Amino acid sequence: METHPASQATARGPMGVMRFLALVLLGALIGAVAAALATGFVNAVLWLNEALLVSPRSRMMFDRPDMLLIATVAVPALGGLMVGLLHRAIAERRAHTPADVIAAVQTRQGRLPARAGALSALSALVSLGAGASVGQYGPLVHLGATIGSLGARLLRLGRSEDNITIACGVAAAIATAFNAPLAGIVFAHEVVLRHYALRAFAPIAAAAIVGYVIATSVLERGALFHVADTAVPQPWEFALFLAIGGLGALVAGAYMRATLGVARLAAHLPLAPALRPAAAGALLGATALWVPDILGIGQETLRFATIAGAYDSGELVVVLVLKIAATALCLGMGFSGGVFSPALVIGTLFGALCGSLVGELGALSTDTFIYYAVCGMVAVTAPVIGAPLTSLLIVFELTGSYALTTAALASVTLASPIAAQLFGRSLFDIQLQARGLDLSAGRGRAVLQSMPVGEHLSRDGVTLAPSVTVDRAVAELGRAGHGEAYLVDASGRYRGCVTLADLEGARASQDAPASVGELATVERPVLHPSTSLWAAMTTLETVTGEALPVVDEADDETFLGVVYETSIARAYLAHSDELRQEEHGTG
Amino acid sequence: MAPARRWRYGIGVLLLGLSLALAADSEEKAEALTVLSWGGAYERAQREAWFEPFTAETGIPVEVARYDGGLDGLRRAVASGEVPWDVIDMTRSDAMAACEEGLLEPLSPTLLAPAPDGTPPERDFLPDSIGRCAVTHTLFATVIAYRRDAFPGQRPTAIADLFDQQRFPGPRALQRTPAVNLEWALRSYRVPREELYGLLSTRRGLSLALDRLEQLDTIRWWEGGEQPVEWLLDGEVVMASGYNGRFFDAMIHRNAPIEILWDGQVQEHETWVIPRGSPQPESARELVRFTTSTERLAELARRIPYGPARRSATRRVTDHPETGQDMRLHLPTHPLNADGAIVKDEAWYARTLERIDDYFRDWLAAHVDE
Repeated sequence: METHPASQATARGPMGVMRFLALVLLGALIGAVAAALATGFVNAVLWLNEALLVSPRSRMMFDRPDMLLIATVAVPALGGLMVGLLHRAIAERRAHTPADVIAAVQTRQGRLPARAGALSALSALVSLGAGASVGQYGPLVHLGATIGSLGARLLRLGRSEDNITIACGVAAAIATAFNAPLAGIVFAHEVVLRHYALRAFAPIAAAAIVGYVIATSVLERGALFHVADTAVPQPWEFALFLAIGGLGALVAGAYMRATLGVARLAAHLPLAPALRPAAAGALLGATALWVPDILGIGQETLRFATIAGAYDSGELVVVLVLKIAATALCLGMGFSGGVFSPALVIGTLFGALCGSLVGELGALSTDTFIYYAVCGMVAVTAPVIGAPLTSLLIVFELTGSYALTTAALASVTLASPIAAQLFGRSLFDIQLQARGLDLSAGRGRAVLQSMPVGEHLSRDGVTLAPSVTVDRAVAELGRAGHGEAYLVDASGRYRGCVTLADLEGARASQDAPASVGELATVERPVLHPSTSLWAAMTTLETVTGEALPVVDEADDETFLGVVYETSIARAYLAHSDELRQEEHGTG
Repeated sequence: MAPARRWRYGIGVLLLGLSLALAADSEEKAEALTVLSWGGAYERAQREAWFEPFTAETGIPVEVARYDGGLDGLRRAVASGEVPWDVIDMTRSDAMAACEEGLLEPLSPTLLAPAPDGTPPERDFLPDSIGRCAVTHTLFATVIAYRRDAFPGQRPTAIADLFDQQRFPGPRALQRTPAVNLEWALRSYRVPREELYGLLSTRRGLSLALDRLEQLDTIRWWEGGEQPVEWLLDGEVVMASGYNGRFFDAMIHRNAPIEILWDGQVQEHETWVIPRGSPQPESARELVRFTTSTERLAELARRIPYGPARRSATRRVTDHPETGQDMRLHLPTHPLNADGAIVKDEAWYARTLERIDDYFRDWLAAHVDE
């Protein structure tokens, strides 16, 4: 077993301070590496988009219309093929995403695998470079988290530190990609850690600042949106912003449902998993021949959506629906990439649509159009990534506009809770739930859900052959000092259990059975080694007894041992204590 | 400063005399370098700031031939094997094309001198100034100028004001080209400068830009560089695009009541290139190194308002030698003016100009009746 990190965490005095400062320094270091990689990643995507005729600029500069048609379909298709082949080298046959990071931190597993992380980043680079309609922030977050986890492992730190360094990498990636350090810090807390501990804050802040500094000195990019200085919305427009939030939650839901739905459908396709991204790429490319706006990360589309009059309402509806479909197709069919950038585009298109409709009613001057676009953007992205505060901070740090942030706040007020009620906390949470990890009841439960009872398996329970006589069974139990015995036949199969009370009762009765086999009760539920502690605890609610038998999953009858109620209770207390130390210890 | 320079020239001449004396047998007299440049006030400034001091220091006389842009003459000369020029003053876009065609000698970055404080050239020169075959010496800009008396009580401060005929009424003069006009039109929608060419690469971006131009009710289209200045002076238009050097000239020498709006200025690079087959490539390189030194670039900018390609030179620019005008305020590259500068994507234009031109001409024909 590992050393107990909680006890180290509580070290006070000069040594504690030194340890803590070292952790902050490590955070800054991880921030620097994650930021450098993130910068390289973003630049590599831009370069690939130029070289592979994905970006509008390169398409315009390429003066061969016939070749351009071929490239538009071939590049995403071949990119998809490469992605499919890359994913064969990952154990889960899919790219790792921020959902895996969240799962690792919430269940205190940590230890993100470096190889799968590197392969996922590579496949995301290929996906984005070839113009798939996926996001770049998810891969950056996962890359940063993998670097953080790697750092903790190299220094042989405990699980709590591993969680903090993962969050450091995440914060640095967001701070670098958006040029927004506060958003990076809040994202790491809001989405990944999901608790606030002073001990974690300082290293994460250090990582975010380093990322930000590197971003501002290396990456020179235009702000995501600009605001007219003079335009301030009318008071009544805030009611519209609230309404956009409510409707935006539904758009976010449609986007998430579509993505998950395509993934379910794809599983039934008569097509090898490695070939699915290629098929999606070809379909995407063919659609892009008519509507090129859906290709790639969609930076130009996002920009046009913030300009009043660039799209008319009809075009906005078409591009909005097609962008949702394209993203669901790419992500569902196995391209590697994030959900955030497409959500930004979808949300902004949705907001622009609301703005245009209000404008057509004649009530709006074009000065406040950007408010509608940004409200729509926040209303869709916040529910999808489950991060209302981060979305607001991104708006604030990118625009420096308090008025715009307030409008976005109005929108997110309704968007996040409505989407959470109807669909789930975020797309990540919904995906994890589908994989059997329910985070909706908090971290304490998530940790127990991820712990298999197998670790607490005991072999000192009394086992008897079903043919043993009642008298003999009573004697055996008396010798071992237990109240229950488990019946296992000659080929090792579990045949039920008997309690001392049953045996004594039978001995006293008139027609005493010849063997314990006849007395055995099979009502008591059995566990598998992989059953979670949480499921075991739920099972215990319906059982009175000292232990639960554990059988092999493969045949559901080979007896492996028992898990005592007291071990389960002890494990529960130990994990709760670790969590309390991690979340409330001051370091 | 002046005495120090004279002193240095003195040393230069002395050394030169010494070396000439030593090499008296092998070589009689340094052969003249032939520079191809643009003539006019620009050439005059180059002679004073660059060529005369160069001759004083090296003993190599400089002859200047008149250049009218383009690559046809150079192509013919290189093909015939008889290149009459040693150094050419060329726009960067032409230089990039000529370099790709193999018409130019490659230039080593080690050719360039460090700044006086020791800053290496690659950090002292503005971004993208040092190319494979060309090195930028100065930058000029296409800007908007407006009549000071046209808008009582307010003045344009942003390029979007070009399209705001409610606050700034009156006719405009623009160059009859898509370049610059399209960029300005998109900037008026607050598109960040870095994204201009990405958006202009789409139908939607082009039509947004042309929509903006269409909203102006009177546009006079100019082709020769002097035209917008004349129209402004005559009061035929109240705002006009044009070259910053021409507007400066009108303001200083003709006392014209006009002002330059620096926001949205589109900068272009003027570069030195050495043609393949130059008769004296060694001396040509020497001229390039000499004229791109911090001191020489600053001297040129005192005479004509073209921004030096070196940051260290921009900081050293002082008054005009004759009028005493503070020249820093008139340089496109001065920090006060350069804030809103648009960097022209020359690679983009090199590949798309024909199609963009066609698109623009069709639009002109369909929407503008003159």
